[in-house]
Amino acid sequence: MKNKSFKDIVRSIPPVVYMLVAMIVIFSLIEPLYLSTRNFRNILLQCVPLMIMAFAQTIVILTEGIDMSLNAVVNIVTVLTVWLAIKGVPLPVGMAISVLVAILIGVVKGFFVSKFSLPPFIVSYGMQNIVNSIALLLTGGASIYFASELYRTFTKTVLLVPNNVWVAAVMFLLTYTMLKRTKLGANIRALGGNPESLTLAGVNPGRSLIKAYAFAGFLTGIAGLMMLCRVESGQPIVANGLEFQSVAATVLGGTSLRHGKGNVAGTILGVLLIQVIQNGLNICGVPAIYQSVSTGGIVLAAIIVNALITSRKAKA
Amino acid sequence: MGKTILEAKHITKLFPGMKALDDVDFDLQEGEVHILVGENGAGKSTLSKVLLGAYKAEQGEIFLDGQPLKLTGTKDAIDKGIVAVYQENSLVPYLNAAQNIFLNREPKTALGLLDLKKMNEDAKALLKTLNCEYIDVTRAVSSLSVAEQQMVEIAKALSFSPRIIVFDEPTSTLSEREVESLFVQIRKLKSEGLGIIYVSHRMQEFPQIGDRITVLRDGKKIGCVGINECSDAELVKMMVGRDVSQVYVRNKNDFNEEALRVEGLCDQGGRVKGVSFNVRKGEIVGLAGLVGAGRTETAEMIYGIRPIASGKMTVFGKEAMPKTPTSAVKMGIGLISEDRKRQGLALNESIAQNNVAVSLLKIFPNFFVNNGKINQIAEEFKEKLRIMTTSVGKKTRFLSGGNQQKVVLAKWLSQDPEILIFDEPTRGIDVGAKMEIYNLMDQMASQGKAIIMISSELPEIIGMSDRIYIMKEGEITGEVKREDPDFNQEKIGELMMLGGAE
Ligand SMILES: Nc1ncnc2c1ncn2[C@@H]1O[C@H](COP(=O)(O)OP(=O)(O)OP(=O)(O)O)[C@@H](O)[C@H]1O
Ligand SMILES: [Mg+2]
Repeated sequence: MKNKSFKDIVRSIPPVVYMLVAMIVIFSLIEPLYLSTRNFRNILLQCVPLMIMAFAQTIVILTEGIDMSLNAVVNIVTVLTVWLAIKGVPLPVGMAISVLVAILIGVVKGFFVSKFSLPPFIVSYGMQNIVNSIALLLTGGASIYFASELYRTFTKTVLLVPNNVWVAAVMFLLTYTMLKRTKLGANIRALGGNPESLTLAGVNPGRSLIKAYAFAGFLTGIAGLMMLCRVESGQPIVANGLEFQSVAATVLGGTSLRHGKGNVAGTILGVLLIQVIQNGLNICGVPAIYQSVSTGGIVLAAIIVNALITSRKAKA
Repeated sequence: MGKTILEAKHITKLFPGMKALDDVDFDLQEGEVHILVGENGAGKSTLSKVLLGAYKAEQGEIFLDGQPLKLTGTKDAIDKGIVAVYQENSLVPYLNAAQNIFLNREPKTALGLLDLKKMNEDAKALLKTLNCEYIDVTRAVSSLSVAEQQMVEIAKALSFSPRIIVFDEPTSTLSEREVESLFVQIRKLKSEGLGIIYVSHRMQEFPQIGDRITVLRDGKKIGCVGINECSDAELVKMMVGRDVSQVYVRNKNDFNEEALRVEGLCDQGGRVKGVSFNVRKGEIVGLAGLVGAGRTETAEMIYGIRPIASGKMTVFGKEAMPKTPTSAVKMGIGLISEDRKRQGLALNESIAQNNVAVSLLKIFPNFFVNNGKINQIAEEFKEKLRIMTTSVGKKTRFLSGGNQQKVVLAKWLSQDPEILIFDEPTRGIDVGAKMEIYNLMDQMASQGKAIIMISSELPEIIGMSDRIYIMKEGEITGEVKREDPDFNQEKIGELMMLGGAE
C-alpha cells in the first residue's frame, strides 16, 4: 500500500523535473565549477527575459494559439525606449510607453486572429516581420545607446536575489493568479478547449482572446524592459530566437499545444531546463557555434522524452 | 396541467440547401415534460436551438407567457430562464467542474478574484441534488467519465434556476443509476412547475417521465400526442413514415472456426480481472453488464489501446498480443468505440473523407487515391446507414448528432475487419437507423465475421446475440446461450446486478 502511494507520487512529478535534475548532475560531473551559487545566480539572472516571454507564450498557447512575434516585441521595446530617451523623453516614461506599445501590438494580433479567424501562427509571423522592420528602421540597423544608472537597479540584489528575478517572480504571480483566479483565466482555457462554451455562456470569445493577447503583450513588454536592463542599449535583433525557446519551454513545462491544457508553473521549469543546458554547454567550454546546435538537439530530445512519458501516463 | 409558458408558431429554419424546420408549431406548458422525437436529422436539435436563441428562425414567432419573444442569443435566453443541456459537450476540458458550472458567473471575493471556495461549495451542493456528490468538483472535467461530464452539464443547467430546460439526448451517455437520479430530478422540477423539453431516441423512457410527444420528420411536425394515446408501433410509424414490423433480425449461422479467444485477461488498473471468453466465425457474442463493469476496458485491450497486464489472446488459432491498434487492425480486429465524440471525427472534413479515414491504405494499396471511388464508397454507406445529408461532400460538422455517429460507424465498417467489436453501437441513433445497424450486423455475421457487441440496452443485446457473457466488476459472472431457458431479460438483468450463481 505504502509502496503504491510512493509510486503515485513519483508518477505525478512532471518529467521536466527529472530532466532538470539529470542535466544538472551531468554538467556538474563534467565540470565541478558548475555547482556554485555564483553559477546558479547567473543562470537565474540570464533567464529572466526568456522566463517572462515564456509566461506570455503560455497564455497564448492555452488559447490554442502560438505567438511567433514575442522576439520582435522585446526587440522593439529595447529600441523604442532608448530611441525615445535619445529624443529627450525621460527613461521611465519611455519604458512605460514601450510597455503600452507592447500591449497594443498584442491587441492588434488578438483582433486579427479573432476578427478574421486567421491562424495565430500566420498573424504573429507577419507581426514579427513588421515590428522587426520598424526596430531596424528606428536604429538604422545598428545598436543605439543611452547611458543611465537606472538599468543597474534591476541587476542589484535584494534579499539575496537579483531585482530582475523579483520582477519575474511578480510576473509569475500575476500570470498564475490571472489564470487560476480570474474570469479571463477561465475564458482563456475555454478558448483553447471549447470556444463554443463561451458563446453559450454569453461571453464574446473574440473579446476574451484580445484580452489574452493584451495580457501577454504586457508581459512581453516587461520582458523587453528586463532585456534592456541587461544589454543597456537598444538592440533590434537581441531577442531573435527566443520566440522559439519560449514555445519549447512552454511545451516542456507540460502545456499542450491544444485544448487549453497546461499551467504556467511548469513553464518556469521548462525555461530553467533550457537555460541550464545553455549555461552548462558554455561552462563546459563547448564552442559557441556548436552551442546552439547542441541546445537545439537537447531541447528537441527533451520534448520527445516529455511527449513519450506524457502519452504513456495518459494510457495507464 | 398548467398554463402555456412557451409557444412557437410556424417556425421555419433554413440551412444552405435545405429546410431543417418547415412551418413547425410547438408549445410547452407549466409542469410538463414535452418529448421531441424523430429520426436523426429530423430537426429536433434545430428546434431546440431556435427556442434557446442559438439559431434565428427565418420565419415564425415565439411567445413566452403570451408575450412575443425575440431572443438575441443564448445569453438572452438564459436571462429569460430558458436553458439547455446540449447534445454536444459544452464543457471546457481543462477547467474543473465548479468552474465549468459557473463559467462567466463566477462568485468573486472582496479583492475581485474568483471565490474558488464558494464556487466549489455551490457546485458540490448542486451535484448533491443530482445524487452525484462523488464527483470531485476540483478535478479537470477531462478526467471525468463521459457520464460524469454529462451530470456536470446537467448541474450547470440547473444552476441557472431556469423556468424552461431543454434536454437534448441527456441519457445517451448515462448509466442506469444516473438515468434514475436524472429522472427523479426531472420529476421534481416538473412538480415545481418548470417546463421541460426532452429529446431522446429511447422510447422506453417516454412513459416514465413524459406528458406529451411531438414527432418531427424531415423538418415537419407530424403530430403531437398525449403519452398514453399512442402505442410504440404507432409512434415509430409516425417517425419513420412506414410500418415497422420486426426490429431484430437474426439468421441462423453455423459457427465452426474460432476467431478470437481470450484467457485470463487482466489490465494494469484492476478494472478487468481475468476475463476469458471466445467468439467464433459467424457468431454475435454479447457482453452485457452495467456501466463500469469493465466491458469497454476489455474491448480496448483486445484492440491494443489499453496495455494488457496478463492473460492470453488467440486470433484464428494463433497466439497474438496487439500492442497498438495498428497491429490489431493487421490481425483483422476492429473496434467501434463507445466514445465516438472523442475518438471519432474530423469535423471540418467531408463525410466521404471521414468514411475512408482509417481504411485508405486498404482501399488504395498504391500511393494514389481516387476521389471518385471514395465518394462511391461514401454513397454506399450513406444508403446503408441512411445518413441524412444533401451530399457526402458536406462537412461533417453540419450533420445532426445522430448522423455524425453514423459517419463514425461507416468509418470503421469501411475497414471491413474479420473480428469486429461494437461498443454501444446504437447510442444516440434513431429507431430506423438502429434497425439498419442490426441488419448490418446480421449480414456481417452471415458472411462469417465474428462480432462482439457491448451494449447496456438489454433488449438489443438479447435480440442480437447468439451468446451473452455477463460481466460484473471486471469479471465474467455468467454465460447464456440463445437456446438456454435463461436467455431472457429477467435472468440476465439479475446476473448483471448480482453476479454469478455460484
Ligand atoms: N449548422 C448547420 N449547418 C447546416 N446544416 C445543419 C446545421 N445544423 C443542422 N443541420 C442540418 O439540419 C438537419 C436537422 O438537424 P438536427 O441537428 O436538428 O437533427 P436532430 O433531429 O437533432 O437529429 P439527431 O437525432 O441526429 O440529433 C440535419 O439534416 C442537419 O444536417
Ligand atoms: Mg440532435
